[in-house]
Amino acid sequence: MSNETTGAYLQVDNLVKYFGNDKAVDGISFGIPEGAFLTLLGPSGCGKTTTLMSIAGLHTIDGGRIKVGDTVFTSPKEGLFLPPEKRDIGMVFQSYAIWPHMTVAENVAYPLEIRKIEQPEIDDRVADVLKLVGLTAEADKLATNLSGGQQQRASLARAIVSKPRLLLFDEPLSNLDLKLREQMRVELKRIQNEVGITSIYVTHDQSEALVMSDEIIVMSKGKIEQRGGPVEIYSRPVNEYVSNFIGVANLLKGKVLEVNEPGQGLFELAQDGKQVQMPCQLSPGIAAGEDAVLSVRPENVHAVREKDGDTTLEGEVTFAIFLGSHVDCRVQWGDFEWKVIAHPRTRLKAGEKVYLKFDPEHTLAVQP
Amino acid sequence: MTTEALSPTRERSPLNNRLRAMLTQENIITLVVAIIVAGAVVVPLAVLFVSSFKVLDPLGWDTTWGFGNYVEMFTDRIIPKAFLNTLIISSGSTILATFLGVSLAWINARTNCPGRDYLEPYNLIPFFLSPFIGAIAWHNLGEPQTGLLNNWVRDIFGVDWALINIDNIYGVIWVTGIFFAPLVYLFVVGSLRRMDPSLEDSARTTGAGLIRTTMTITLPLVMPGILSGAIIVFVTSAGEFGVPFKLSAPYGWETLTTQIFSKAVGDDANHFLGAAMSMALGIITVLLIWIQQRYIAPRSFTTVTGKGFRPNVLDLGPWRWVAFGYNLMFIAVAVVLPIVCLIIVSLHPVWTGKIVWADITTINYVKTLFWWRPDAIAAATNGIVNSLILAFGGASIAMVMALVISYMIHRTKGFGVRMLDFLSVVPIGFPGIVLAMGVLVTYIQTPIYATLWILMLAYITRFFPYGQRNISSIMLAISEELDQSSRMAGASWFTTLWRITIPLLKPGLFAGWILLFIIFLRELSISIILFTTGTETLSVGVYYLTNFENEPLTAALSMAQTVLLLIAIYAFRRFAGREALTA
Repeated sequence: MSNETTGAYLQVDNLVKYFGNDKAVDGISFGIPEGAFLTLLGPSGCGKTTTLMSIAGLHTIDGGRIKVGDTVFTSPKEGLFLPPEKRDIGMVFQSYAIWPHMTVAENVAYPLEIRKIEQPEIDDRVADVLKLVGLTAEADKLATNLSGGQQQRASLARAIVSKPRLLLFDEPLSNLDLKLREQMRVELKRIQNEVGITSIYVTHDQSEALVMSDEIIVMSKGKIEQRGGPVEIYSRPVNEYVSNFIGVANLLKGKVLEVNEPGQGLFELAQDGKQVQMPCQLSPGIAAGEDAVLSVRPENVHAVREKDGDTTLEGEVTFAIFLGSHVDCRVQWGDFEWKVIAHPRTRLKAGEKVYLKFDPEHTLAVQP
Repeated sequence: MTTEALSPTRERSPLNNRLRAMLTQENIITLVVAIIVAGAVVVPLAVLFVSSFKVLDPLGWDTTWGFGNYVEMFTDRIIPKAFLNTLIISSGSTILATFLGVSLAWINARTNCPGRDYLEPYNLIPFFLSPFIGAIAWHNLGEPQTGLLNNWVRDIFGVDWALINIDNIYGVIWVTGIFFAPLVYLFVVGSLRRMDPSLEDSARTTGAGLIRTTMTITLPLVMPGILSGAIIVFVTSAGEFGVPFKLSAPYGWETLTTQIFSKAVGDDANHFLGAAMSMALGIITVLLIWIQQRYIAPRSFTTVTGKGFRPNVLDLGPWRWVAFGYNLMFIAVAVVLPIVCLIIVSLHPVWTGKIVWADITTINYVKTLFWWRPDAIAAATNGIVNSLILAFGGASIAMVMALVISYMIHRTKGFGVRMLDFLSVVPIGFPGIVLAMGVLVTYIQTPIYATLWILMLAYITRFFPYGQRNISSIMLAISEELDQSSRMAGASWFTTLWRITIPLLKPGLFAGWILLFIIFLRELSISIILFTTGTETLSVGVYYLTNFENEPLTAALSMAQTVLLLIAIYAFRRFAGREALTA
């Protein structure tokens, strides 16, 4: 891993953090190039927020090293700990953390006052950044009189006004309602692009991660499961956990029979005494003869009425719901119920017998 | 890893860095406060414990170690009776205060009693006034020969016997009961008011009547609040000094506190026996408070429903006027009558039990307040100055301490936080007189003895938890992220405290400050043990006048104290909520 992270702008090496006897973060390492937008994605308790807090300096860490540019933020082994206020980071909190006893403009001016910047410059920069987030009209309102979305913008303005070297987001959209959340995703991404500050974003919402990020790190139990761009994470998950966490997937246990060329092989499913073989893509590190998990997205399973040379399985439609752009079906095969997204033209109905076809490009054998 | 070897920071000495990393503003300040608190709370109690095993020889020259003091507590002529009297008084006043507090809270929170929004502030006034003054007032109302009430009854009905005699342990129960009723009221009224009315409504739909619903649903739901209030009243009554000192001790009913007082400063002074008695009282009260904090307070049912709902109240029909009259009666006996009586008595040159219009004079106020005869009643004039110094200074210092302690408990996770949390409950468990004994035996041979500082130290040690709880309740309500975002904005720990945390805590700081100001202004049971000539406090001045001068002078100083307290209560009502009190 260390090869991958050298030369990056933010560098986290072997980060370890305990809470009591629980290992919240278990030796993770990653780096980000300057200006990138990285998302830490995972369910609650996976260590993503702990990682963020460690970068912020709001936690001390128990092992490893965090470095931005030439500055070491923390490294317990060397006895180094830079207090949070010396790290020059902007942060947007889940609760927005807008100070209720100050106006919007006072909130935003605070980081600049702390940095002892001259008043005229403070006024200019506050006005600029309020314009950027669209809060110019609200500048003199008390923070408590803002709506949730406006507080979110004010919080972002306060985080970026001092042009910090790093921007951290701790699930900033989770308190907003769905519609506002979808709108703010785009807005946040636009503003981050505009200011170009290296950003780390923590969320448990996979669609948020897919929309906003340059890169995603999927975490579980304090470890990194997979790192990659949104398309890669979605279309080439490396293991059962990631397949399951991102999007919807049909997951079946089976065995890799043989490896043909690098990254491609033959997978065998066993169900009710029936054995089925199909060509598949192999995720890294899987060898012939090993147990693996078949992972196929519902939109990559094709249900047809007529049997032909490419069909592999025969099953019965248990239900089909017409959703306009597509039909959401379940196809019973032995004990397993396949999730299938069919084209509306197929007009599949419950009780029908169908044959399933798989596209080898999108049929993955992943690690359990 | 290669990056580490290249790092320029690698050169520094790791140990040196580690030490430097620990020496933050935050760690230094919190460590200092932790040491001060531990010293202030633990040292006097430890010395008290050790001293209780020192036995004074009959001549009073030398001491030996042993259990003699504890044996004497059971064999003495007076102490066992004092124990029993304390038990009777505490039980009696607990029953009375609980009955009054719960019934008044229920009337105010759950019924359509007329004018209930206006009554509540008056129901709470006794909580802030001095029970010692209450005892003095009720002595002048209910003394068999000169009591105003008795004389009114004699005049109106032409009888020649006294209606009541307040000078006995029942009088003590009466006065402590009505003065501590607001404690129970405060513990109960909040949960009654927040209670989801559908809980009662669903009982009514099953066919249960009003009384049955109240007894089987309403009261059980607030039972933890009632029990908490009752325990606090029991403990406070057991530690109360002024009321038994005025109403029962002179007539042959000694209590533990009056006995501890006589062992501390009386003619038969024996600090070590006093220490043993304080230990006995302290162990009982601390145990009760521990039970309350540990088992009862956490069981308070949260019956709060959504936001902004106004619970339905019960329609009492014509009985609402009975409830109204009952509430007025309470305010009359707890607030109006005592104050009116004190005013009347204070305006007479001598008090004979009857109002003599021709004699009305302000001479007593001039004497007590304006150094008319400084030699005789210096205690009174000193007391006013000293109490104001103690109240302003003590409340300010205590709130600074309380702020740092609350911050540590709620915002840091480091070593010593649990201990600090514990230490800030301990003083609540010990009556003022017990802690004062500990402070006395600890500091009697140091230079701070016989100064105002020792009083301030004891006041703060005993009462800072009240201030701390006021702050904590707000600190729990404001998100830690508000502090963290200031750190992320580049502000240091201290700047964050100054510009973010303190402004947000202002209401709690202010409420706590006034509460402590009020407590310190009327404080008696600590002051009575630790004062010397020149360091008398207001309540000690009242004690002096009632002991060595006459009732009109006493009443005048009592009124002065009461007026000061009423002003502070007004400020408290203006700027703080009811929640500030029960914490």
